[in-house]
Amino acid sequence: MNQIALITGGGGGIGGAVARRMAAAGIAVVIADFDGAAAAKIKDEIVESGGKADALAVDVTVPRELKAVVAEVARQFGRIDILANIAGGSAYAKRLEELTWAEWKEVMDANLKGTFLMCREVAPIMQRQKSGRIINTASNYGVTGSALRTPYAAAKAGIITFTKSLALELAPDGVLANTVAPGPTDTPRVMEKESAEARRRRWWPNIPLGRTAVPEDLAEMYYFLTTPESAAMTGQTFHVNGGVVMP
Amino acid sequence: MRLEDKVAVITGAAQGIGRAVALGMGREGAKVVVADLQAEKAQSVANELRGRGTGALAVEVDVANEASVKRMAKSAFDRFGRVDILVNVAGIYYPKASVVDLTEEDWDRTIDINVGSNFLCCREFVPAMRAQKSGRILSLASGIGHYGMRQFSHYAASKAAVMGFVKALAREVGPDGITVNAICPGSANTAMPRRHRSEEEVMARLRSTPLPHVLEPEDIAGPILFLASDAAAYITGQSYNINSGSYMF
Repeated sequence: MNQIALITGGGGGIGGAVARRMAAAGIAVVIADFDGAAAAKIKDEIVESGGKADALAVDVTVPRELKAVVAEVARQFGRIDILANIAGGSAYAKRLEELTWAEWKEVMDANLKGTFLMCREVAPIMQRQKSGRIINTASNYGVTGSALRTPYAAAKAGIITFTKSLALELAPDGVLANTVAPGPTDTPRVMEKESAEARRRRWWPNIPLGRTAVPEDLAEMYYFLTTPESAAMTGQTFHVNGGVVMP
Repeated sequence: MRLEDKVAVITGAAQGIGRAVALGMGREGAKVVVADLQAEKAQSVANELRGRGTGALAVEVDVANEASVKRMAKSAFDRFGRVDILVNVAGIYYPKASVVDLTEEDWDRTIDINVGSNFLCCREFVPAMRAQKSGRILSLASGIGHYGMRQFSHYAASKAAVMGFVKALAREVGPDGITVNAICPGSANTAMPRRHRSEEEVMARLRSTPLPHVLEPEDIAGPILFLASDAAAYITGQSYNINSGSYMF
């Protein structure tokens, strides 16, 4: 029987790569994304190459929407083995005094609150199953901070410690929760804002492995955290960043 | 198989975590150098590997002895022609002594075996990895290197030093396509903790983790196999914890 994975942000760069990697390993993936068309595109790609996938549009900051999505997945498949919370991002690069309360809330909600709401919805299902893997997404900025990204850094730091607390709560039921912390990654979303050449100049000299990440680099870690080989790892933060940050 | 045709050198491979890593690497297609101070036990692991069709060589080594480490490296290169993966597992977790009672001799011994070994072994294999523009180095640290432990100041210091060494080396060799990472196990079901704890104490400790999962050597070997594989090409300078949730850093 296929394992079932629910992947938020599955229509994006990292989320899409994670969906493809898990599907290639025989996991049935439900790709949930704010951008329903992007989710459908990844789904079609996976199905064409022989994988099992479904796509759904969801705003993870709206409890009503995500409740409906989780209920639908649970109804359709009868279980959820893997939850990868990848939806999120840093929408603004602004000095603190220029940030509005609404902007602060938007970034905190898209990253931290969305993660909380999804976990709250899916965790009881995994607890009943006595198994499950939750993989949340932070950032190296959640450890180092980042000028002009105060709400993003705060939200990502929040995700790291939220996940540790969640891991302790779910451990007695055999449900694992971990965080993946990507470093600078070449996703379509960031490449829209910054050219490959500019990114190369800005990042490469500061990264021990001499390049920025491609989404597939991250996807391998998310997949690893669904396998029996990672059965003893919970509450941890796994930095995949070419060595740009070594906490 | 994820490590087809790779050559792996594993120190401390005669028992416990090192043995599990050696068998796991063999299963994934690597040829394995089983290096250990305990020559007979190392030979028996190598025999087990060969019995499964894996190319294996047992080498006696004292990882805190420069000449001995050089001999081990020469044996590995003579036999297999290259080395792709180095896993530094060899280490000691005794004696148990408070700081005021710890002898200089025991301090030196722990630091030399647990972290000096990393320096001596990496120094032998890094040049060849640089030349081939690829390599994986993995070192066993410990959660104790993060949170400390009373009566084990020497061990805690040595394992924190491993993490510092790993980060520095990762920066040095990253441009040559070599990754260097540390693994921090929690207390595992091996002979090591049984040196200074009763069987009851050991099992009680193993069962006290948040996750109801007794940490076995294979639990440590799995992530090491992942980090040694191509899938982990972008991970370097990290210290990953494997401890059934007993400690989160």
